[in-house]
Amino acid sequence: MLEHLLFNLLQVAVVLIFAPLASGVLARLKEIVQSKRGPSIFQPYRDLWKLFHKDEVVSEDSSWIFRFTPYVVFVTPIFVVLLIPVLTSYPLFFAFMADMLGAGFVLALGGFFAALAAVDTANPYGPMGASRTRMVGFLAEPVFMIVFFTVSFVAGSTIPYIVQQSWVTPFANFFTPSHVLLLLAFLMLILAEGGRIPVDNPTGHFEIAMIDESKSLEYSGRGFALMKWGGQMKFFVLMCVFLNVLLTPWGLAAAQTWAAVLLAIPFVLFKIFCFLLVLVVIESSLSKLRLFRIAEFLGAAFITSVAAMIAQVFLP
Amino acid sequence: MNDATQQLLQNLNALATGLFLLTAFGIVAVRQANACLNLFIVQSLLLAASAALLGLRYGTSHLYGVALVNLISKPIIVPWLLRKTSPAGIYTRREIDQVLDIPISLTIALALVIAAYFVGAPIANAVSAAYRGPNVPIGIAVLLLGAFTLTVRREALPLLIGLLVMENGAFLTGISIARDLGMLVELAIATDGLIIVFIMGVLVRAVQKQVGTTAVGALASLKETATRPETDEASS
Amino acid sequence: MSVIVIVLLPVLAALLVCIPLGLRWVMGVTVVSCLADLLLTAQLAWRVVYGHVPHELLEPAWSNWLAVDGLSVLILLFITFVASTAAIYAVGYMTHEALTLRRLRLYCANYNLFIFSMLAIPVLAEPTLVWIVVELTTLCSALLVSFYNTREALEAAWKYVVLSLMGAGLALFGFLVMFAASHAAGGQTYTWAGLVAAAPRMPPVLMQTAFLLILIGLGTKVGLVPMHTWLPDAHSQAPSPVCALLSGIETTSILYVILRLIPIMQAVQGAHAGTWALVLGLISVGTAAFLLLQVRDYKRLFAFSTVEHMGIMLTAVGLGGSAAAYGAMQQIVSHSVTKSFCFFAAGLALLATGTREIAAVRGLIRRVPVAGAALIFGGLSIAGAPPMAVFLSELLILKAGLSQGHYLAVALLAAFIVIAFFGVMAHLNRMVFGTSSNGASDRDDLRTHAGGTSSLPLSSRLALILAAVPVLLFGVYIPRPLHDLLTMAAAALSR
Repeated sequence: MLEHLLFNLLQVAVVLIFAPLASGVLARLKEIVQSKRGPSIFQPYRDLWKLFHKDEVVSEDSSWIFRFTPYVVFVTPIFVVLLIPVLTSYPLFFAFMADMLGAGFVLALGGFFAALAAVDTANPYGPMGASRTRMVGFLAEPVFMIVFFTVSFVAGSTIPYIVQQSWVTPFANFFTPSHVLLLLAFLMLILAEGGRIPVDNPTGHFEIAMIDESKSLEYSGRGFALMKWGGQMKFFVLMCVFLNVLLTPWGLAAAQTWAAVLLAIPFVLFKIFCFLLVLVVIESSLSKLRLFRIAEFLGAAFITSVAAMIAQVFLP
Repeated sequence: MNDATQQLLQNLNALATGLFLLTAFGIVAVRQANACLNLFIVQSLLLAASAALLGLRYGTSHLYGVALVNLISKPIIVPWLLRKTSPAGIYTRREIDQVLDIPISLTIALALVIAAYFVGAPIANAVSAAYRGPNVPIGIAVLLLGAFTLTVRREALPLLIGLLVMENGAFLTGISIARDLGMLVELAIATDGLIIVFIMGVLVRAVQKQVGTTAVGALASLKETATRPETDEASS
Repeated sequence: MSVIVIVLLPVLAALLVCIPLGLRWVMGVTVVSCLADLLLTAQLAWRVVYGHVPHELLEPAWSNWLAVDGLSVLILLFITFVASTAAIYAVGYMTHEALTLRRLRLYCANYNLFIFSMLAIPVLAEPTLVWIVVELTTLCSALLVSFYNTREALEAAWKYVVLSLMGAGLALFGFLVMFAASHAAGGQTYTWAGLVAAAPRMPPVLMQTAFLLILIGLGTKVGLVPMHTWLPDAHSQAPSPVCALLSGIETTSILYVILRLIPIMQAVQGAHAGTWALVLGLISVGTAAFLLLQVRDYKRLFAFSTVEHMGIMLTAVGLGGSAAAYGAMQQIVSHSVTKSFCFFAAGLALLATGTREIAAVRGLIRRVPVAGAALIFGGLSIAGAPPMAVFLSELLILKAGLSQGHYLAVALLAAFIVIAFFGVMAHLNRMVFGTSSNGASDRDDLRTHAGGTSSLPLSSRLALILAAVPVLLFGVYIPRPLHDLLTMAAAALSR
């Protein structure tokens, strides 16, 4: 029992430590694709370190929500990490608390507070970004729902630990149309939720075109560091769900020993690295959609997820 | 062939049909005429894959022939024929105003797919187990989606592709429930598809020359209540 | 050999037409091949009716592909008849249009290929092959419909191709399902005869689905009502000889495929094929009758009348029984000869006046007597006035319906026929005998366009007379061999 608790905490530590690294690697890979050298992959750590040592400026007109939000944004991914398989293929100490749906709600809570905080100060860009994020969120929500319903339909459960097994036992199940279509739909969701390129440009610096970034424009110092770190962890968590639960449930620790669990860390990091490579290809080959075309992008994701469900129904 | 392999082949076939359905949705909705053609090519490849997998699964060798015919005729000859016959503008067209806007047409398309399930279920139940499979309902669904494409599109290329998609849908079911149909017939049907492309390409070229547009579906001067053709032409 | 020769002769003609010789060669080859085909078919019909099966049908190598019985011979016979008169008609008509030789060659090649595709429908035994030649009829005739390359003609051709092929897609699905049904019943060969034999063991669900899909799919091409929208466009925009083929016989030869399903469906349990045919047929007749009242274009008038007649045939088949089947067969005959005559007459009127609009033509009988007389004669016979062929066949159908006890259907059918009669006659009457409000300007228009009867091409007038013979004859007297052929064909509609 104690071991399970410790493993659970280890998962949290892994996500805390490696989430900035993942975004550093992604940024570097993109620069390399564009024939530039790019910053070091450890640059996000330096940014966080710098921000934590800076003074924080908070608007006098802002309410408690503004001050409270960075903590929510930072903590919600950590809660989710307690629930999902990051390193082990068996449920850990806190995993009983919620299923995938619950994890989705917890993540949404962070988004909700971020949007509130953006409106809280009178900065004109904040509410704009918040409303845009909400628009993407509204459109992504039904896709999430259909994806989860289809998952539960196929696997008979929404507990991630059960779901991940059902795709590969027997191995032929990996190729069921519902699985592949779900992967496609979820990939599109990650791009939308993570603010990646066809939906939003994470490296853009024009406030007028921003969707995700403009919400944290008012933050500085420690608050900004928490917001940033939280965002990186959220992206990391989404990748973990995609890779460990939906796409490649291999390489996770099956045995309840420290050696197995520690060995799982490089495996998981390798999977994430491979996924980042794919993401770089996607991001470099597409251009950002106009705001009103995002609805069509997520519409396509919706159709894909419904097709996944239908394909499952159609199997005799 | 052991059980695991059979299961794998069956699931791979199901995967091919699932993606087949997805491409049909794409053909209903994408704006670029060229993307429509590419989706159709992908769809034909998936049809060929499904035929080959079913051939492997049930040891029906002439399904390989069907797969081969599909591999040659649709991804290679159809685009070539189109380039030969129809005006070049046909590819570069973007269709901004479909008859319905895209979310609505996708929703109707979804409803059609669900309807197809209810049509397909009794058919699937009436044939013996070896002939069943996801091919039946998905084939019907794609048949209906092709017909739907014909009703919402105006550009020549998407319309033409809608027709071919209908044929693809019928074929997808055919390779499952009418697997033992002779090779000659399948060949003849494939040739027929090519004649369709040729004739319609020629027609589109004539329309382009005469009317100056490739939005053939938007032509509507022949009506019972229409005024005299001269005034009609002047107003349009 | 005879069946194969009959079907392939037009292909040969299409090839010969491509040899770059003069105008006479192009038209002559077409006419001669059509007439030769007519003679060969008449001979084949004689042999089939009096019990000599063509020997290639007995050879196992061919027996799975080709089959000829009374019904298919009847269709063959009238395809070749209409093709011949239309070919003769076209000699004068198409050259009158002052087209280049290249265009005429294209026309003739296409025409012959179109005839080939129609001839192949009734002789092929394998349903999927029949589906393919049905597709070919659409594709071969598409360029004939768009022949004038005007905006309207192209639009009509496009609608025609898209809707017909859309229907063909549904029908293909139906044929594949039907194959599955025959396979499930253990049917050895997938032919019309094999299907009839296997029908009692077929799963009813599959056959019902297949029947409905084929009825809707091919019904599109026949011009049954909810799917008829392309028909008036295509059948009015094409050159008149092609209209005669399209309306007179192409629709019927597609209807033939639907008729083939009727005996199969009779053996399938719980299948109400007859009811479907009856309902769809009555809807077609009714809608067409009311649409006839409001047309503005006299070629469209005849096109709508085709929709009406297809409905009558389908209704007759739906009534069931051998008498109604005989009536349906006779209706096929009378419709094909009369409708082709009507389009010939309409073509002459078009040549003489230069307009297709009903409102623009008045007093035709005084200016161009031949065209006017032909038009009014065609109108009377197609609308079903005694003593013409259509009257007799419609009377037979109504009588058969009454003796079967389908009082409601017969009453509706009779009412619709009467409405259609008034629709056709009201329009044509005004065109032929009416006086226009501003007669002077009209007369000038007409005079500038054509100088009266003498300018109408001779061969077209000849074709008109040839086509008029059966219209008159079959109304008062059915020759004995034709009667036997009709009886045989009607027998093919029941098990």
